[in-house]
Amino acid sequence: MSDNIDGGGNGALSTMTLDGEDVGFTPGETVYEVSERYRREIPTLCYDERLEPFGGCRLCIVEVEGSHNPVASCTTKAAPGMKVTTKSGRLDMHRRVLLELVASENRDLDVDPMSGYASGEMATLLDRYDARTGRFLGMQSGTSHPDDPNPFILRDYENCISCFRCVRVCAEQEGDYAISVMNRGFGTQITTEFDGILKDSACTFCGQCIQTCPTGALADLKALASKDVPGETKLTRTICPYCGVGCSVDLMTRGDQVVGVLPAMDGPANHGALCVKGQFAFDFIGHKDRLDTPLVRGDDGQLHPATWDDALDKAAAGLLAAVDNHGRHSLYVVASGRAPTEAAYMMQKFVRAGLGTSYIDNCSRA
Amino acid sequence: MTRPSDEQLHERWRDQPAPLLPLLHELHERDGYLSEEALRGVAKALRIPIAELFGTVTFYHHFAREPGGLEAPRVCTGPVCRLRGAGDLLDSLDGAVSMPCSGRCDEPVPVLRGSSTLVGLAADALESRPSPLPPAAPAGIEECIFAEMRTEGRAGLEGYRSSGGYDALKTAVLESTGPEVIRTITDSGLAGRGGAGFPTGRKWSAVADAAGDPKTIVCNADEGEPGCFKDRVIMDYDPHAVIEGMALAAFATGATRGFIYLRYEYPETEGILEAAIAEAEAAGLLGDGILGSDVDFKLYVRRGAGAYICGEETSLLNSLEGKHPFPRNRPPYPVTHGFEGLPTVVNNVETLAACAPILRNGPDWYRGLGRGDNAGTKIISLSGDVVRPGNYEIPLGLPLRELIDDWAGGAYEGRNVQAVTMAGISGGFLAGEDLDVDLDEASVRERGSMLGAGGIMVFDDSRDMIDVAHSAMEFFAHESCGKCFPCRIGTQRLTERLAGKAGPKELSDWLDEVRDLGETMKETSACGLGMAAPLISESLVKYFPERVAQHVTSVR
Repeated sequence: MSDNIDGGGNGALSTMTLDGEDVGFTPGETVYEVSERYRREIPTLCYDERLEPFGGCRLCIVEVEGSHNPVASCTTKAAPGMKVTTKSGRLDMHRRVLLELVASENRDLDVDPMSGYASGEMATLLDRYDARTGRFLGMQSGTSHPDDPNPFILRDYENCISCFRCVRVCAEQEGDYAISVMNRGFGTQITTEFDGILKDSACTFCGQCIQTCPTGALADLKALASKDVPGETKLTRTICPYCGVGCSVDLMTRGDQVVGVLPAMDGPANHGALCVKGQFAFDFIGHKDRLDTPLVRGDDGQLHPATWDDALDKAAAGLLAAVDNHGRHSLYVVASGRAPTEAAYMMQKFVRAGLGTSYIDNCSRA
Repeated sequence: MTRPSDEQLHERWRDQPAPLLPLLHELHERDGYLSEEALRGVAKALRIPIAELFGTVTFYHHFAREPGGLEAPRVCTGPVCRLRGAGDLLDSLDGAVSMPCSGRCDEPVPVLRGSSTLVGLAADALESRPSPLPPAAPAGIEECIFAEMRTEGRAGLEGYRSSGGYDALKTAVLESTGPEVIRTITDSGLAGRGGAGFPTGRKWSAVADAAGDPKTIVCNADEGEPGCFKDRVIMDYDPHAVIEGMALAAFATGATRGFIYLRYEYPETEGILEAAIAEAEAAGLLGDGILGSDVDFKLYVRRGAGAYICGEETSLLNSLEGKHPFPRNRPPYPVTHGFEGLPTVVNNVETLAACAPILRNGPDWYRGLGRGDNAGTKIISLSGDVVRPGNYEIPLGLPLRELIDDWAGGAYEGRNVQAVTMAGISGGFLAGEDLDVDLDEASVRERGSMLGAGGIMVFDDSRDMIDVAHSAMEFFAHESCGKCFPCRIGTQRLTERLAGKAGPKELSDWLDEVRDLGETMKETSACGLGMAAPLISESLVKYFPERVAQHVTSVR
């Protein structure tokens, strides 16, 4: 869209060579993006398409004719006439060594898939590149924070590979800047201000760090707590019920119990983003205090279970009586912010055309 | 002097260019450490997220986070100082901590205390001394940078001007043009003396042609490479040569502001530079309307805080900007996207100091100083097991043996040179027949090494090369920034293997691991640190296979 400034001119397609095949690209695209479009399987660990390319894991290296060393495809812009090789013995060798290296610094290579959306990325690559060799053993990196008492986010940095996706998603996607990088080299550690607990930081517990973590070092404590719930985990695409944004989520259920929420990376409204409510606040679904039938207040002043027809008749009668007794402008209606746009529209139509007043508002605004 | 409040310090720095480091240093020196309260104030004043500021502060070796930290003696345990008893000195000084090579290899062992450098070999013999001057050049050798440096009073404006100082700048701004200055520098063959060897004229030309204002000249004085101490002597004894070089670069490129990014470990040098800048400003040689022309150039000194990677130019720029000092992805390069995303020249101290003499004497003169096809001179910081360690300005192409034996007095009586390091430690070792090498980039690269910034440490046949290699690799691991996987994990794994703490016990497996690691680090690391580190292990295995075999198979 806006990246057509350098090179090929106004949206014109330029061409480069990908593994011997001539392919088109839009100026501004990276070699990685072009390769993805042409179904090349380039491994990555520090890459999240929603974030600025970082160039840390070096797994996405490709060979470019005329360049002595392989280059990171995520940070290299495609150029007209560029000749790129995405797969070779040399690249495979380096990728395997890099994977053996990250495997050598972690306590666990396989984590519970309930840990988070991307939590299996590293293990999948270790298998693909046959990198569970036990080579390069030595000290392990990272110090976990078992003392962080928050109920949402597990901070198990002994399984961290310092890809900084969590730090970057927090800054670039959320704008929270709650977490950062402490120390350097092998002593690198994901931290918060003054190495404290999340509650004392700028963290909003949106859970984005969990969902982008490729090793499960940051994990969804609520989903992990469901391990004793029997049954297969089933995913159901739906819309978060909390506000009108309409974030897509995949509800994780076992039997009839919701055990967790995964953000939908392809959700048109959220591109994988969620807030603390959409991510973690689903306990109400099965809560014992939740209403499962309409209640109507009787002459005794108490609430009694009723049918929908009875309840709606009662409400309609009350509204009509108010108009009759006090005029149409005696009513003021607030639509719920949890309702989608379509429902909010219906509500204002009902208020304006049905009740005859313009006193309509929405709690997201009021 | 009254203690300035946080607010006064915020006020002083908030609107200055590149304010974070100087503000942190003022608080650090006021309190003796950086307190949580002080950092929260800085975050607010400079509008930096507190988590990010905290992380960035922990990146630097020398920012103390506990009360009293700044006053704790910090003892250099670099490769040469270790040979001179730094370990014992560390043990005998109360509360002392070690620091990586701090650039005094010609006069070990330096100890930082507060903001001053002491030098000595024993706890009761530490004293403050100026940097050693370069030893005299052999008869018949013409120098460029050191030519006038040994003259008394050279560091002052008067002393500098007495032998033609600032004449080049005067001629340039009053009688010449930017393109003409660039042509002279290009014709001289001057190339980056910090190690990368990029042609200086081309760099200036790229910045002159780049769109975007204001442009910036950065002098890279973050001389962090172990075994390198040349920039220190240039700045201590010839600060105006650096300033004049920067002003010439500014004139040639149209830059209006400049920074000298000085390594933390040279506290006295900061005062020398500030004094020289003040003198030059008072004399109309810096600031607005230089020498009555319409050329403006304002120059600032910014002090690092202990991070080798900040010598890498894009890390340096991030550090100046107050960001986490990871190297940037390139392209784009600093010539178009440098300081604050604008066109920027980043030149080494030695490169800049050569500019005024080149413009005064002409490009042919400079070219002619080298031997054979090599243009110009290079300062070699020679240290270790050699009779006269020090900075030597050699004609490029001088044989290494000639430097060691004829210029510097050779190895100690009864000893032989076993190996030398090149490019500080970034070029790994040369030994055996490869010691018969000419000191120019092409010849050294033919031997699988590099000349780099020109640090050469000599190790005689009494030294254990496994131990030397281990300490070099430990330095790289200590200084790896942590951004890219091959360097962050690779330097750690190589260090462990050289320490005998981890790794296969079977020799062939050990060699396979070390070779594979080296290959991947060299070809996939994001910057020069990770690419250079494995030259240490690679050259160790190449020259000392028997010692390596013994190391691997000995019982652990």
